[in-house]
Amino acid sequence: MELVGEEKRIQALFSELRLVDEQTSPSFVAVWNRAQSRTYRPQKAFNLAFVAATALLVCALVSLALWSRQWQRNPDALVNLPSVPTVVPTQVPMGISEVTPTPAQKGVGVSAKSRALKLAARRQSLLVAANRKATHEAKTLASWESPTATLLDSPIDELLKSLPQLNQTVDELKSFLPSSPK
Amino acid sequence: MRIDQISGMDIAELKAELETLHSASFGWALSCCRRDRAEAEEVLQTVYLKILEGKACFRGEASLKTWLFAVIRKTAIGEHRKNLLRKLRSSDGSEQARTQVSQADEPGLAYEKSETQALFQTALKSLPRRQREALHLVFYQDLSLSEAAVVMGISIGSARQHYERGKKRLRESLGQTEIAYGIGWRGKENPGAV
Repeated sequence: MELVGEEKRIQALFSELRLVDEQTSPSFVAVWNRAQSRTYRPQKAFNLAFVAATALLVCALVSLALWSRQWQRNPDALVNLPSVPTVVPTQVPMGISEVTPTPAQKGVGVSAKSRALKLAARRQSLLVAANRKATHEAKTLASWESPTATLLDSPIDELLKSLPQLNQTVDELKSFLPSSPK
Repeated sequence: MRIDQISGMDIAELKAELETLHSASFGWALSCCRRDRAEAEEVLQTVYLKILEGKACFRGEASLKTWLFAVIRKTAIGEHRKNLLRKLRSSDGSEQARTQVSQADEPGLAYEKSETQALFQTALKSLPRRQREALHLVFYQDLSLSEAAVVMGISIGSARQHYERGKKRLRESLGQTEIAYGIGWRGKENPGAV
């Protein structure tokens, strides 16, 4: 670019400025080394953040698993379930067999074992009570009689409800026939 | 990305190139940081860090110098923004005072205090950023207007406008100060050149 007049003057001023800047500029090696030392810092921070996030995630997953396991064992959940009236008596031993500690659960400890036994007893008592109630309700239903049932009774009930026997005579059988028109 | 291989260029080769451009880069960083030496050094360091990490990648679309200057410019703008926020957050001006004290010890400051340079610096600082940048790139860095336009990320027409306006405003402000100080700026000018 061809410089003229005032441009040359400006150029001269900038050149003077450049000379001073060149003299006072920091050494390249120092700046470069500082930058190079800084390259690993953010990476470290990133790794640390990544590890922390992973650890947090693992903790959350483990606690969720433990909580869900605890929730499955919670007896209150069973109590809150809707009661089924037709409880088969054979389910009682099933309940016991469910609670019976498996070989994997043996190592849990004495306290856990006693707690499991208590739970089993509680569940069994609940099942027995439910069974008793169901039996009582069944009996009540069987003995129920309509209050207007007597109104349906008639003198020929015996005739209507009974069947003719094979050894009866024809005359007797004729009595079952409607009276023929004379 | 591997540190020893940045955009197909060997790191040793790139380092050598950057070393040759270091003083010019520092001058450009100084201009972008309004002659704040500490900030300019910080900016330059950040630029080298960006290059090492591969965040700033030279693809050979422009010359290395213009690419490097564009990276410096963007980094300086970002750093300036961060510093402004930092200053707004810190209510006390202790940091500013410390910077001023450290700047007073700089060896180049004595020169900058010389009358002509002081006038020139004041006039340069009074210019809008784009105009100052255009003048610096052309007169200080000896770049062409098209190269300056690449560095500034604008069209060549806009760069030319900033350059012309910058020259005009610089001439005006220098003329005003010369009248005030009684220095003959225009007397040295070649009347037939303009």
